[in-house]
This record gives sequence, structure tokens and C-alpha cells, in this order.
Amino acid sequence: MRRFLILLKKELSELLTLQTLLPFVVVVLMFAGLGQTLSSVSAEVETNINVVVADHDGGAFSGAVMAALEQAGLEPVVTTTVIDDSSAARVLEDADATIALEIPAGFSAALAAGEQQQVESWARIRHFSFVGNEEIEALEGALELVNSTVAAAIATEAAPDVPAAPLQRPVIRSEHVMVGDKTAEAPAMAVMSFVSQQTMFIPIVLFLVIVFAAQMIATAVATEKENKTLETLLSYPVSRTSIVTSKMVAAGLIALLAAGAYMFGMSKYMSGIKTGLGGGVESEAALQASEAAMRQLGLTFSTSDYLLLGLTLFASILTALAIAIILGAFAENVKAVGTLIMPLMVLLLIPYFLTLFLDLSVLPDAARYAVLAIPFTYPFITGPNLFLGNYGIVWWGIGYQLVWFAVFVTIAARVFSSDRILTMKLSLGRKKK
Amino acid sequence: MTSPVQPVLQVRALAKRYGDLEAVRGIDFEVAPGEIFALIGPNGAGKTTTLRMVATILKPTSGEILANGYDAVADPDSMREQISYLPEEAGAYKNMKAIDYLKFVAGIFFDDRERMARAIEVGRKVSGLGDRLDDKLGSYSKGMTRKLLLARTVMTEPALAILDEPTSGLDVINAIELRERIKEMARGGMSVLLSSHNMLEIEYLSDRVAMIAAGRIHATGTPAELKERYDAENLEQVFAQIAHDGKEVM
Repeated sequence: MRRFLILLKKELSELLTLQTLLPFVVVVLMFAGLGQTLSSVSAEVETNINVVVADHDGGAFSGAVMAALEQAGLEPVVTTTVIDDSSAARVLEDADATIALEIPAGFSAALAAGEQQQVESWARIRHFSFVGNEEIEALEGALELVNSTVAAAIATEAAPDVPAAPLQRPVIRSEHVMVGDKTAEAPAMAVMSFVSQQTMFIPIVLFLVIVFAAQMIATAVATEKENKTLETLLSYPVSRTSIVTSKMVAAGLIALLAAGAYMFGMSKYMSGIKTGLGGGVESEAALQASEAAMRQLGLTFSTSDYLLLGLTLFASILTALAIAIILGAFAENVKAVGTLIMPLMVLLLIPYFLTLFLDLSVLPDAARYAVLAIPFTYPFITGPNLFLGNYGIVWWGIGYQLVWFAVFVTIAARVFSSDRILTMKLSLGRKKK
Repeated sequence: MTSPVQPVLQVRALAKRYGDLEAVRGIDFEVAPGEIFALIGPNGAGKTTTLRMVATILKPTSGEILANGYDAVADPDSMREQISYLPEEAGAYKNMKAIDYLKFVAGIFFDDRERMARAIEVGRKVSGLGDRLDDKLGSYSKGMTRKLLLARTVMTEPALAILDEPTSGLDVINAIELRERIKEMARGGMSVLLSSHNMLEIEYLSDRVAMIAAGRIHATGTPAELKERYDAENLEQVFAQIAHDGKEVM
């Protein structure tokens, strides 16, 4: 045990170098920074978005449009210039805006007379990311508001005795969502987007952590070969099992550390997205309501769910480590590690992408069983299965992965206690004569 | 305790085959306590394979290796307590300070704190690196690394030190220093099994020499005996003759 700890300490100090840690520090900082940027972008968005409004009407209803824009968090910059496709770019640039709206002359009078009116808008799409074009959404909201305000005004004019609301919006709905055997009152779209956030981002963390662990241990073996320390290490009076397990435990510990760091970065990112996409008092309340609905639907993880997810991830890391230590034994140097762990990457990428884009149940039977035979499928399907209360498959996944681990760790121990650890190698990309 | 006449290392009918290639074809030799025994032979003669088998990192295809009575195949863990191995191409953990490397090895070999401290002290002295022991190994020159590795090999005061080309790649001054240290340790009772291409080194260091070619030992004796037997002025001429004979055997 004491010798094992000495080996473990050595492994940790070898693995915890700037070179190996830099990539994941960068990723964590990137996520945290991205979250920060997203929330600050949205803050900026809320305070100061100019909308050019060419008001050729100046009537009561064009005033209502301005009010609605302001309510939607936009800042109208009123002009009397006539906007068309050729002048729009210049107008937007002058006003430092991305949206322009043109209200025709006689707008208010025509609406009052019961005629449908048309406003024209120009929107400059600045980029194609999924945040940062909020002003376009804000404009949609503002025009929706204008419609209902104008409709209410016309309705009150035409039928003063009828309450305005049913005329504005005759049908409203109260939405109920069912997940498994649980029901809650919440918009189905909100539930879907909540779940997809999780099913989008948890797998990224899982993927990175498993790859990181595999790379760590393969590097640990390859470094011994490259630095010519392996032969000496193998002649020390320590059991081969201690050598293998100390490397695995060290890589596992660092992977878990990385997992924690990724989770931290990711949670910063997610909260950044929440403030970024949400924003405003109204959506804050909606967010709280939808979070309550998620709890009711069982779409939030309980402590035992987190434990099961953690256990699944742990089993995946162990399996990846056992496979990667064997692959690492083929490497002559650290450079070869990237190529050698490709088979493992493929085993990870298949379930990662499949579960990201589709539900496994839509696959034909043969394909589905093939995917379920890959041990690394389970970490990706555990989250959704926990939501749905399918604990059977979660436990099966843990057990199945541990069987893979047992098989590969046995092979690894054999490799390390035979000549193969010194003699087997793949010469990649160059031929030795 | 073994009696002083008992050899530290006994190798009997040792053979190693890699697929179709017979690297070692049944060799026998013994190393007595405090003796420096050298294997010399051309490239590919089976020297390194033999040393690796004695160091328990390769398994013999057949034959027997005993160090102080412990069997390399049946009980490698006990065997490893008796030996210490310096491979020809050896490196050290670049992120470690030299002194931490010595501490690491001492911790691996010994449970007892006093024994550990003594080993570190021996390593410190043999390395001759002084204050540079506090530097990271990544900053070491080839000569310094080799000195440290030799110190690491002998610091545990093993019954048998296995040295594969101990001075390979070193300049003359460093090589002389290292040889001097190896001799000193042997005088202290440590047995040495070494291989080298450098005949001068072999003549200076070795008590006995085995000439190996094509996986077989062709002659064993003191350098003086061999020179006489082959009517040669120096070991180099003996070596050339045997290398020539070895080719005929192949």
C-alpha cells in the first residue's frame, strides 16, 4: 500500500504539468468566459438598442407603436427620412441601430377607419449565433403588442360594451405537460427547451471528461516509454498491478478533478445563458414557474439521481482508462497517443452524436442493440432515463460498463506483466527498416 | 544469509525467442559476490536481452535465473529486491527534482526510514552532483543524468547491479569517473553484471568476461586468460575473432 501511494504520488506529479492541464484550464475559462459574455451581452441589449423609426404619420397609433417599442426595451430614434432598400444601410449606420421601422402617412387615420395597415421593417442580421440577435425578437414582441393595443382600441371604439380582452385574444390556453406518469401545468415548449439544454450540455461534459481521462493515462504510459523510464520502473520491486492501478487511479483522479472544473465552467455558462436568453422581470417569473413545473415533472435531478449519474460516469471513466492504458502501451512516444486512442474516440463519438440528435428508440432494432452494446452509450442516455424514471436501464448500464472494465483491466494487467509492454508497438506514419 | 562462496547470480541454459528469432540460445554463467562480470559481443548478440531477462523485465523462453536463490520467473518480486538495473537507454522523470527522484526510488525499495535515508545518502554521494540535486531533471545534461541514474542504481546497495552500457554517450572524463565509482561499489561487496562495447572499459573494470555472439557464449574467463587463449594483444582482437566466428555460427 505504501509503495502504491509512492507510485501514485509520482504519477500525479508527472501528469499534473502545465502542458497537460492547459487544455482543460482553457476550456473551463472559455465556458465561464462565454457565460459571462452572454449575460453581459444581454445586459447591454436590454439597456441600449436603438430602433430607427421613420414616422410619416405622427398620429395616436404611431404613438402607440413608440410606446410598445419602449416597453419591449428598444429605444426609438425618430426620423422623417424616407427609408428604402438603398438608404436603409446608411440610416441604420447613422443611428447606430440594426433595426428600422417605417410607419406610413395616414397610418392612424386608416386604422381608425378599420383598414388594415402595413409597416415596413429592415433588420440587419449581424451574426448567426443563437444569442445576440435579440433586438429582432424584441421587435416581434413590440409589434405583437402594437397589434393587441390597436385591436383593443378599435374594439373599444366599435363595441364599447364588450370587454376588450376576448376580442383581442378570443382563445387562450392553459397547457399541461405529461412526462412519464407525472403531469404539470407548463408550456410544452418551455419543458422541451429546458430538457434539451440539459441533454445538450451534460453530454459535452461527459464526453470531454472521458476523453481527458483516456488521454491522461495513455500519455502516462507513453511518457514512460518516451522518457525511457519504463524499463527501470518495471525492474523495481513493486507488483505490476500496483504500477497499472497507480496510473489508473492518478488519471481517474485528475479526470474527476477535470469533471468538477468542467461542471463549474458549464454551470457558469448555463447561468450566463439563462440571464442572456431570459432577462426582464416577466421572464424571471416565468423561469421560476417553469422550474417549479420541472420539479413537479421529475425533470430535475434529485441527490440519488446525481449519485447514479456520477456512478455511471465513474464506470465509464474506469472502462475508458482500462482500454486507454492498453492503447497507450502501443505508443512509442507521447505524439502517437492521439492516433492510438482514436478507436476509443470513435466508441465515444457514435453514442454521443446519436443521442444528441435522435432518440435511440427510433433506430432499427439491430442498430439500437449495436449502439447499446457500446459501453459509452450509457453515460449519454442516463440523464434522460433518470428523467423518465427508467432506473432499470441505468443500473444495467453501470453493471455492463463494469464488466467491460473487468475484462480490459485483466488484459491490461496481462500486458504489463508480460514482455509485450516493452515489445509491442505500432509504427504509425513511418516505416522502420 | 548465503555463504560467501555461493554465487550471487546463476544463469542456466537461458534462452529467449521472439517469434522466429532466437535472440539467446541457451547460455550459462555465474557472478560471484563482489565480482564484476561483463558480457561483450557484437550488436544483436543477445547482450541486452540477457540483461533484461536477469532484470526480470523479459520472461525467458526457457532456462533458469537465480539471484541469491530467488527465481526470476517463479518469484520475480523477491528477485527484484536483490537487483538493480540500469538500462542502456534510460531516462528520468523530467518534472522531478533529482533529489526527489532518489527519494522516490528509496521509498520504492525500502519501508524502513533509516534504510531509506542511508540509500539517499549513498545516492547523493555516488552521483557527485552536490547542489544540482535540487534541480529538475529536465535541466540535466546527458552526463549528469547518467551519473544520477548510476547513483540511483547502486544506492539501494543491491546484491547485483545490472548495468547495460553504463558509460554510453559519456565523454571521457565522465566515463572515467563513473567507472571509478562502479569499481568502488564492487570493492564494497556489490556484484556487477555489465555489458559494453568499450573494450578498454571492459578490461579496466571486469574481473571476468563472457564473449557472446549470435545468442551463445563462446568463451568465458578473465581478460588475461582470454587474451592468452586467443593469442591476442588486447580484448578488442579477441572480440573481433569471436565476432567473426559468431557470424559463421549464424
